[in-house]
Amino acid sequence: MSIRVEFYGIPRHRTGVAAATVEVVGATARLNDVFRQLGDRFPDLARDCFDQDGLRDGYAANVNGERFVTDASTPLADGSCLLILSADAGG
Amino acid sequence: MQKEQADPNTTASTSGHRHVPGGYHGNYLSVNLGPDDQTSVTAQRVSIDPSVLRRFLGGSGLGTWLLLEHGSATCDPLSPAAAIAFVFSPLVGSPLTTSAKFAVVSKSPLTDRINDSLASSGFAIAGKSVGCDALVVTGQAASPSILVIDQDEVRLEPAESLWGATCSDTQRQLTERFSSGWQFAVIGPAGERLVRYATISHDGRHAGRGGSGAVLGAKNIKAIAVRGTKTCQWAAPGDLLQLAKAMSKKSMGSATDKYRELGTATNLLLFNRLNTLPTRNFQQGYFEGAAALSPESMSIARKRTRAYCAACTIGCEHIYALSDQEGADGVRLEYENLFALGPLCGIGDPDVVLNASRRCDDMGIDTISAGGTIAFAMECVQRGQLDQPWLRFGDGVALLKAIELIGTGEGFGRELAQGSRRLAKSIGGDSIRFAAQVKGLELPGYEPRSLQTMALGLAVGTRGADHNRSGAYEVDFSARADRHDLVPATAALAIETEDKAALIDSLILCKFLRGIFTDFYGEAAEMLNLVTGWETTADELQCVSRRIITAKKWFNILAGWTPDEDTLPARFLNQPLPDDPAAQLDKQQLSASIRMYNEQRGWSPEGWIDRQHLEDLGLACFDRRAMGFEVACVSSRR
Repeated sequence: MSIRVEFYGIPRHRTGVAAATVEVVGATARLNDVFRQLGDRFPDLARDCFDQDGLRDGYAANVNGERFVTDASTPLADGSCLLILSADAGG
Repeated sequence: MQKEQADPNTTASTSGHRHVPGGYHGNYLSVNLGPDDQTSVTAQRVSIDPSVLRRFLGGSGLGTWLLLEHGSATCDPLSPAAAIAFVFSPLVGSPLTTSAKFAVVSKSPLTDRINDSLASSGFAIAGKSVGCDALVVTGQAASPSILVIDQDEVRLEPAESLWGATCSDTQRQLTERFSSGWQFAVIGPAGERLVRYATISHDGRHAGRGGSGAVLGAKNIKAIAVRGTKTCQWAAPGDLLQLAKAMSKKSMGSATDKYRELGTATNLLLFNRLNTLPTRNFQQGYFEGAAALSPESMSIARKRTRAYCAACTIGCEHIYALSDQEGADGVRLEYENLFALGPLCGIGDPDVVLNASRRCDDMGIDTISAGGTIAFAMECVQRGQLDQPWLRFGDGVALLKAIELIGTGEGFGRELAQGSRRLAKSIGGDSIRFAAQVKGLELPGYEPRSLQTMALGLAVGTRGADHNRSGAYEVDFSARADRHDLVPATAALAIETEDKAALIDSLILCKFLRGIFTDFYGEAAEMLNLVTGWETTADELQCVSRRIITAKKWFNILAGWTPDEDTLPARFLNQPLPDDPAAQLDKQQLSASIRMYNEQRGWSPEGWIDRQHLEDLGLACFDRRAMGFEVACVSSRR
């Protein structure tokens, strides 16, 4: 399964890229699977934006530009686009 | 000019009749500028009952109470009788991070409704050191003046030589003219010329929205200079220091990374991705030139420094150099400046946006209302409804010219200075349908069709369309709501964020701390108890929030509010955002949500407040009958 991940705000700062593609083996990809793979590729992202429960305070995830998700077990369909961003936007 | 000694014996703290809570002086300084005697100013310290402090705290809350006390709701906001309050809080001067803040509260000349704008830093600390919890200024000086408050001495000094100077030049000249220890709140040329969205500036920061700069300008006050040595006791200084250390540590955690590293413009590109970046007067939610304006790009292309307000551990201010003006002062760039002077006007050149932002700061103009009014005029030109052919979307020269005209009051600038609602009335036709304002206050940088909890917050806000009084966008950017839909739960979510903002603005703390609290009301109660010696609770503070919101609404009712003000312009209703069919705001659903909001606030479905509810919240003293009105609020309206 292929998941496109777009980074915004601090997550983009930590990865140094605007987007990446994550391949997940198996029939179902969950948010945590994607986070795990991203953590391996982008250690700075993992250090500052993730903890054992998923995203740290101040960060959020959105699927396909539509719904925001927090549950690390949220399933993602093949071809989904996951946005990882700084939460509580604005000022 | 004649000096006036404020009588310290009228203060609660020295009279011995009342126990003044820690963190407070227990009084406000009432300053009348005349014009009864053209050479005098009178000043008096007026006790504030401790129960008022506990019920309204400080900042926006206490300011609302002060304005109601002064009967300002029915005044012309630019008349001598109108009051303008500079309000501190029990936390000012404490070691708690981000607590050096003050609120400027008055009736708005832009909306004719309540207006509370906040700013930060040394003016709050020095102003409170005068020995009061607020300054309330009424009257009108006979000529351009500086209101000088040197603890117990209050006087006017001539300001003719400063009249016409920019905010930064005024600040600079005053710093040279006065010795150290003074702090200043100043207006720019826009305030002098009564631009309805003129700001009050302190040290480069602005009490920005709603035109408080024009209120001060109408009083012929170019600047307020404050200095003092009075301090307040804290109830539990040792524990307070420990709490402050813990809070400072948390304030440097992940919840505030974005403000430190990229500033408030962190999510410009995300907003663009989600079709929530207002573009060309809200005709679109996506701007093709956003990438060049993002802080990520700007950081690469130009020098950037950071600045902090006094007593702040976050340091959200990112100051960018102008590429064409080497050696010049940099420009503070916030998301709202960037959106309003960039995409909203179709501008994608970062240098134009930075220059425009700097000129607004210099002139003392609210960037959101300036950009919103100019963008509205640009659309009128685009539609052939306004004969100002030079004023076109995407034209940076036109944007800078328009700002200059607003600040100098020349030509078409006089009409732009009135704000988009008044400009629409003068243009006529159907233009009011696409003037992006609520109650006359231009919308901030959040597209309501694709952020619908925010849409409700914008519609019902007592100050008008505003992101600082309704923080509902944070709900839309979370898993707690479907941002494309209004549902029965929406009203409660909008109330939750509005209540929280009311408390933050009355404590006063920076909203950028909001992500660090796990139990906001409980932690706020702990802070307040250590400062004041009260035994307040989370429940009591939630009630304080509701009281403050209701008091603001009551001010508006006294000022002539009617239910049809609580809506969004026709542009946003029943038609989807281009290229985003899901972003459609149903007018009936919005009306239903507004009714639910009102009912959950304890008001009538239309938004009126009955006497019993006023009594429940301790606001009955401000009932119309008590204030000289013949008819009580609700009985004749329902």
